[in-house]
Amino acid sequence: MIDDDNAFYAVLIHELKNNLGLLSMTIDRIPPSGGAACDSAVDVARLQCQGVVERLQQALTIYRAKQGHLRARIDAYSPHELIAEVGQRAETLAHGRIRIDVAVDESVPPIWFFDRDLVEMALINAIHNSLVYARSVMRIEAGAGHGWLELTVRDDSAGYPGHILASVAAGAPCRARGTGLGLQFARLIAQAHEHRGRLGELHLANDGGAVFRLRLP
Amino acid sequence: MNQNATAASETRIDFGALRALVVDDYPGMRNALRLTLSNFGITKVQLAASASEAIFQIRNKAYDFILCDFNLGEGRDGQQLLEELRHSRLIPLETVFIMVTAESFYEKVVATAELAPDDYLIKPFSAETLCGRLVAILQRKRAFAEAYRHYQAQQVEAAIAACDRLLREQPRYAVDALRFKGELLIALGRFDEAEKLYQQVIAMRAIPWARLGLARALHLKHDDDAAEAELRDVLEHAPEMVAAYDLLADVCLARKDSQSAQEALQHGVAVSARTVRRQQRLGEVAMDNGDLDAARTAFSEAVEKGRHSIFIGPADYGNLCRVQLEQGDLKAVADTLRQNRRTLESNPDGRLVMAVTQSRLYTREGKADDAARALDIAADLRAAGAQGAPHLLLDLASACMANGRADEADAVVADVARNAHDSEALLEKARRIYAEAGREAAGRNVLASATADVRKLNNEGVVLAQKGDFRGATEKLLAACESAPFNPRVSMNAVWVILKYLDQDGMDEQMIQTARYHLAEAERRAPAHPRLAGLRLHLMEVEGRFGIKRASA
Repeated sequence: MIDDDNAFYAVLIHELKNNLGLLSMTIDRIPPSGGAACDSAVDVARLQCQGVVERLQQALTIYRAKQGHLRARIDAYSPHELIAEVGQRAETLAHGRIRIDVAVDESVPPIWFFDRDLVEMALINAIHNSLVYARSVMRIEAGAGHGWLELTVRDDSAGYPGHILASVAAGAPCRARGTGLGLQFARLIAQAHEHRGRLGELHLANDGGAVFRLRLP
Repeated sequence: MNQNATAASETRIDFGALRALVVDDYPGMRNALRLTLSNFGITKVQLAASASEAIFQIRNKAYDFILCDFNLGEGRDGQQLLEELRHSRLIPLETVFIMVTAESFYEKVVATAELAPDDYLIKPFSAETLCGRLVAILQRKRAFAEAYRHYQAQQVEAAIAACDRLLREQPRYAVDALRFKGELLIALGRFDEAEKLYQQVIAMRAIPWARLGLARALHLKHDDDAAEAELRDVLEHAPEMVAAYDLLADVCLARKDSQSAQEALQHGVAVSARTVRRQQRLGEVAMDNGDLDAARTAFSEAVEKGRHSIFIGPADYGNLCRVQLEQGDLKAVADTLRQNRRTLESNPDGRLVMAVTQSRLYTREGKADDAARALDIAADLRAAGAQGAPHLLLDLASACMANGRADEADAVVADVARNAHDSEALLEKARRIYAEAGREAAGRNVLASATADVRKLNNEGVVLAQKGDFRGATEKLLAACESAPFNPRVSMNAVWVILKYLDQDGMDEQMIQTARYHLAEAERRAPAHPRLAGLRLHLMEVEGRFGIKRASA
């Protein structure tokens, strides 16, 4: 039974994800030793560990989406709080390696309707990507207008490779590996947001670096 | 995690003063969470490994923040813990309760807004996320401080005014204020206003809780067609929303469609089997529908999952034994009694369940002497004040008849009928018992004379109240209460007319006490009745107006 097998693997991944979550909390508790070599190794381990946790989370989310269970749980949340929280995460993950800028435009209303957990997962995934490729700075932005909330992660990297831009623009399925998997995931999350017939969108562009943008109706 | 110091200082929340409780069955996680909290300055942290440990600690000490894992191994889960804390009013509205869950589908187990945590976190989560959410909730609670204070001081009008102020002045909390206000309006019985409020939220976005609120307001306005249409549509888009199934069952029962009510509850149980009260209701509805298999499954689940729950009482064991007996599974009945002997023997109502069930068991086994002895015990227990649920009393009546004690049986049935003159299901069951014993005519007489007085007094009282004669209505309904002390509808009618009388004629200490007594009785008999909340608040308002401190119950 292929379905049973899939369910079994989903449970397994779920458990691995939780075990890794514990490991990641343990790494968080290692105090700085003062030795740069040692501390940077711990930083790398922390980043890698959280990266794996997030990949597993994505895999589970995509599995659910394929089973038809990916439903956004929409409620009223503050985009300001979301960006502040995600900015803090980015700051911790970056550990001073690059600069993190956070900007919420005046146009952003005090509340918006979205699935906070899914949107946060998508943004954190984009942040992980930028942490790998950014040269010196990453910028997390929120803006609003014409009935859309726009959440953006941009960096000063060399930008997305052409084939990824092309396949996201065309709405084609991405390669289920690395960056591709994360983007497929982000697009699913955007599309799970629907309001008065409009679906959320994922936009990718190169503009002085990679620009990742979720547009939520 | 010193970066978080910035977030904390901006909002001036003194983490050092926060008293926190971490509830998790896994020691590794408990300690990890404690260290995470201490990393951003929450140092007053205590740990609990189970729901009962948590309840013990919460009874002994106030906490500002409870961080609880949904999955607590054996025994109650985090949601059951939260429901008991809210139900027993062990935590005030100011206390932050965050649920930690391994699943991103936690919401499916949350019944209603009042039983929802302040927020939930999906494992694994980062320290920043935990900190950010906690700060946001503490700020929100601070904004709602005035509304909460009025609500807890039983000044509901003032609480509504505080919500309106938040709506005007703090757009960030507009939706939260609407949500709280909606619940207050429902509790006050102002269903038209509640309906408008939920429509207003839905105009912004059709969020499920608003649609559910709308359906509830419609149902309470007796517009059950519209309520059902709304609920069916909610469930089509969000089939995991169990609260919608519970409400749908209410709507179906109001339209006397108990088959559909059972289906709705079965859907709810399929999504979340652990909620004791949903299983109890399913069992009762299935029993009324004659679906013994479904009733048995539900009653055993309720007893099984609710082993340590405050929501389980002797009546639940009685229900399980009844369905097992009706299925002729005598061995299962004996097992149920044996396995739960210690619980049942601990109080008179439990002993009554044992005695009645044993008498029926012995009767089936042809052991007339043993059956007679069990009936004697039951009679003694009743004489000493054990009450028993109406179904159990009808079981007792049927056992009495089977053992040649017709007069005793008639007295018990009359007792049930007086207290259930408005329950067609119970009266029908009584008629069946008489039919099976070949005493239809006797049954008709017993039921007619038992219900006539109560029905007459109740109806006269209601008519007087409708004419505005609340003093006369109070007299009639208190007389009705005397002959039917356990009839929730009569009790609620009495409370209603007393409160109206007090509204009209002013303070009467004795009457307030009487109202309080009958409301408590109705709450005991029909804990989930939609009229209760409104009556409770009305009583609180009357008490507040006359400056009466509620005697601690």
